[in-house]
Amino acid sequence: MNEVSAAPAARGDVDAPSPGGAREAIGSAIAMRGVVKAYGAFRAADSIDLDVEPGEFITLLGPSGSGKTTLLNLLAGFQALDGGEIRIDGKPIHNVPTHRRGFGMVFQSYALFPNMTVAQNVAFPMRMAGLDRAATDRRVAETLDMMRLGEHALKTPSQMSGGQQQRVAIARAIVMRPKVVLMDEPLSALDRRLRESIQIELRDLHRAIGSTFIFVTHDQSEALTMSDRIAVMDNGRIVQIGSPEEIYRHPRSRFVASFVGESNLIEARVLERRGERMRLRGRAGHVFEAESAAGGAADDVTVLVRPERIALCAADAPDALSATVVSALFMGETLRIVARTDSGETLQLRRPDAAGRALPTEGERVHVRWGSHDCWVLA
Amino acid sequence: MGPALLLAPALVFLAVAYLLPLIDLARISAAGAPWWAHFERVFSVPLYWESLLRTMGVALTVAALCAAFGYPTALLIHRTRGVTRVMIATAIILPYFIAVLIRTYAWMVLLGRNGPINKSAIWLGFYEQPMALLFNRGAVLLGMTAVLLPLMVLSIYSSLSRLDQSLVRAALASGAGPLAVFWRVLLPLTAPGVGAGFLLVFVSALGFFITPTLLGGPADQMFAMHITQQAESITGEGFLQALAVVLLVITLVVVGVAGKLMGFEFIWGGGRLAEVAPAPARARARTQSGVAAAGADLLGWPALRVLGRLPGGWGAWTVRLMAGFVIGVLILPILVVIVISFSSASYLTFPPPGWSLRWYEKFFSDPDWMAAFRNSLVIAAMSACIAVALGASAAVGIVRGELRYKSALMLLLVSPMIVPPVVLGLSLYGLFLKLGLVGTHVGLAAAHAIGGVPIVVVIVAAALQGVDRRLEQSAAVHGAAPFTVFRTVTLPAIAPGLAAAVFFAFLHSFDELVLSLFLSSPRLRTLPLRLWADVNYQLNPVLAVVSALEVAMVIVGVALARPIFGRSRAAH
Repeated sequence: MNEVSAAPAARGDVDAPSPGGAREAIGSAIAMRGVVKAYGAFRAADSIDLDVEPGEFITLLGPSGSGKTTLLNLLAGFQALDGGEIRIDGKPIHNVPTHRRGFGMVFQSYALFPNMTVAQNVAFPMRMAGLDRAATDRRVAETLDMMRLGEHALKTPSQMSGGQQQRVAIARAIVMRPKVVLMDEPLSALDRRLRESIQIELRDLHRAIGSTFIFVTHDQSEALTMSDRIAVMDNGRIVQIGSPEEIYRHPRSRFVASFVGESNLIEARVLERRGERMRLRGRAGHVFEAESAAGGAADDVTVLVRPERIALCAADAPDALSATVVSALFMGETLRIVARTDSGETLQLRRPDAAGRALPTEGERVHVRWGSHDCWVLA
Repeated sequence: MGPALLLAPALVFLAVAYLLPLIDLARISAAGAPWWAHFERVFSVPLYWESLLRTMGVALTVAALCAAFGYPTALLIHRTRGVTRVMIATAIILPYFIAVLIRTYAWMVLLGRNGPINKSAIWLGFYEQPMALLFNRGAVLLGMTAVLLPLMVLSIYSSLSRLDQSLVRAALASGAGPLAVFWRVLLPLTAPGVGAGFLLVFVSALGFFITPTLLGGPADQMFAMHITQQAESITGEGFLQALAVVLLVITLVVVGVAGKLMGFEFIWGGGRLAEVAPAPARARARTQSGVAAAGADLLGWPALRVLGRLPGGWGAWTVRLMAGFVIGVLILPILVVIVISFSSASYLTFPPPGWSLRWYEKFFSDPDWMAAFRNSLVIAAMSACIAVALGASAAVGIVRGELRYKSALMLLLVSPMIVPPVVLGLSLYGLFLKLGLVGTHVGLAAAHAIGGVPIVVVIVAAALQGVDRRLEQSAAVHGAAPFTVFRTVTLPAIAPGLAAAVFFAFLHSFDELVLSLFLSSPRLRTLPLRLWADVNYQLNPVLAVVSALEVAMVIVGVALARPIFGRSRAAH
């Protein structure tokens, strides 16, 4: 008996042709308004507004205690809202218990049922939804192949490596082709190499199945690799939201600038404004130009220059800044140089290794510069 | 070899005081002509044979009841946090420290003709005459379940708490309603805990005689009672010994089968010693056969889904109600007894007609009671010393020593826990007669220590395994000799465990009744013995006073120990 109708409405249609190519946007739109989660006087989530587009891959990025896991738990229904509302495709969900929300979820500890095989683990959501065995077995086999786990179907979780277990967890989360997939720092327990390869797999998976992915992490490079948009969180609030390029190149605060990627934050005084361009003088006395969308009238500003954008130059370049090398490290594909300016500011430089490029010595006197497109004035 | 030598004192003690008497017991039981003569009598005379079956039936029922009610209680402890959790856990565990005799006495009060249950039923109009709630099978089952519940709750709770918490969330997120989560995730993964608890309760219930004697009627004769009753007229011919051996063998067989199936660690509720961390669940994944799968599809899954449509609160409320009932069952008798101790009436009635301290005065001014009290204190103190000295060194030896057959040694050290006390008592009587130890403080202290040593070994071994070896290693690397390392690093780390071991060994001896029944004399009476005599013949409120004082003693002891426990628990 076909029990597809018994499946919760939010899950994708089981009999839809299995997607292998173009993305069908089956994901849900998520709208959060004024979401609050309070523990006494402490607000883990402090009046959060967020709109997630259907089929988007959005990352909640922030240090521990920023509220990103709280937000995910509220979305999943493990905790109750203390204020505000969450709507999925326009329908409020605060009255819907977790097991009826129709999401898929991946946990940091994988959370695979140790008393079931890989196939049984992945089949679990389908059994819970009451789908018949034939359809279940087909879909499970398909999903296991998608995650390259076909030959491990009859093993138990304890017989598999961390990376394989995580793939099983992901398979279980997507087997019902849910409209929303939640991921709570799923890669934190894996070593770096494995993490990087699964990141790319997740990106491809997202393109293939088209669900809305909500990804929580504290690792900014993960966020940059996989997301359509990143929501940077701090102290229970979203401090900036945008595409990876926007977040990385045009952060709106010191916090975002230093949390995402390495940064050099340079104090400077505005000499002249000409539309979008500014003329600035740094503390060491060197003059350089910058672009800024900030229209503020402040005279003292902070300028962000990423380490990879600072170049070594000749002493006679117009906006050259002289500095003394404090340390120079060979890190394989990059050379990492720390230099101190005469005014006491510390600059981090990163330069790709290249033929004929020598590592400066400690104490050496160098000159650095950056172009107006290489720096960004923080609001 | 070093630390392993520390096992010697305990092993010698147990060999002489415990193993030899048991072997002697077996020898005497087989001294008939032919050697199976006594055993044949046990199995052919209906009186004994039927009581054996009855005992096993009762033990099974009690274990099943404990499992059914213990699981929701363990769940409730697991799901609550903070102060609530501490209070609920205390309400369950505290009664377990109070002597079986006293808790059973409390049930006699509760279920008595003038007790609160009858009184409130009449007051509420359920019936007009007080019902005979005592001296029947129901009272026995209720009393035994109440006494053994904490054991089951602890066993299930430790299994629950070792579960990966995110498994429940993963199941919820996969669409499993609360009931499905329980049936498909919680129950299979905590089955070892339930099984261990079931077995511990069953084995304990087999040897029970205090509760059935006090709460049961003539038709509720349990097997162990034959041994105590006929011990009054002890004959050396071997029939009594045969009864004891039958009980012992049945116990050992059950424990043996259970140990083979789930590992003998269930006896001391612990993990393996110095081996790889235990596998998270012994339940192995099974792919269902065709028939089983069809059955599941036809009945199981639809049933689960129908039940899953029940409003979400039902499951939570069922848990709360059952657990609340359990807490009431455990706490109520004790509260009633404490109230009665302040009663002005000279017979047992609830509520008391008036308040008075006369019974406290009577207790403290009665030379017999005071003598019994002093005897118990002295013997308990001596017994605790013996048990801790032997048990702690044995624990160090077994955890830190380089040995083979650690599991077998641990099993030996812990085995007195599962041997029915009546069997031990009978076996020791002969030895004590020969050595002239009957009715002596030292003799009783040593006998109690046989049961105290396993308690100490389990607690101290657990404490030792919680010590970070790297602390000791770093002390050694920086120049500390082995004994100094032990003194400055290990000892402070296990101090809470040691303190707990002392407390429990003391309590074990203070509450001990069965061995004392066999091994004391009219001149040397302990408090439990005096209680036992009065419960059987007098039943006045002084018993309530003794009970209240014991409860106070336990509460004070646990309260003093709580900060220590809290710290050691936080360390996990």
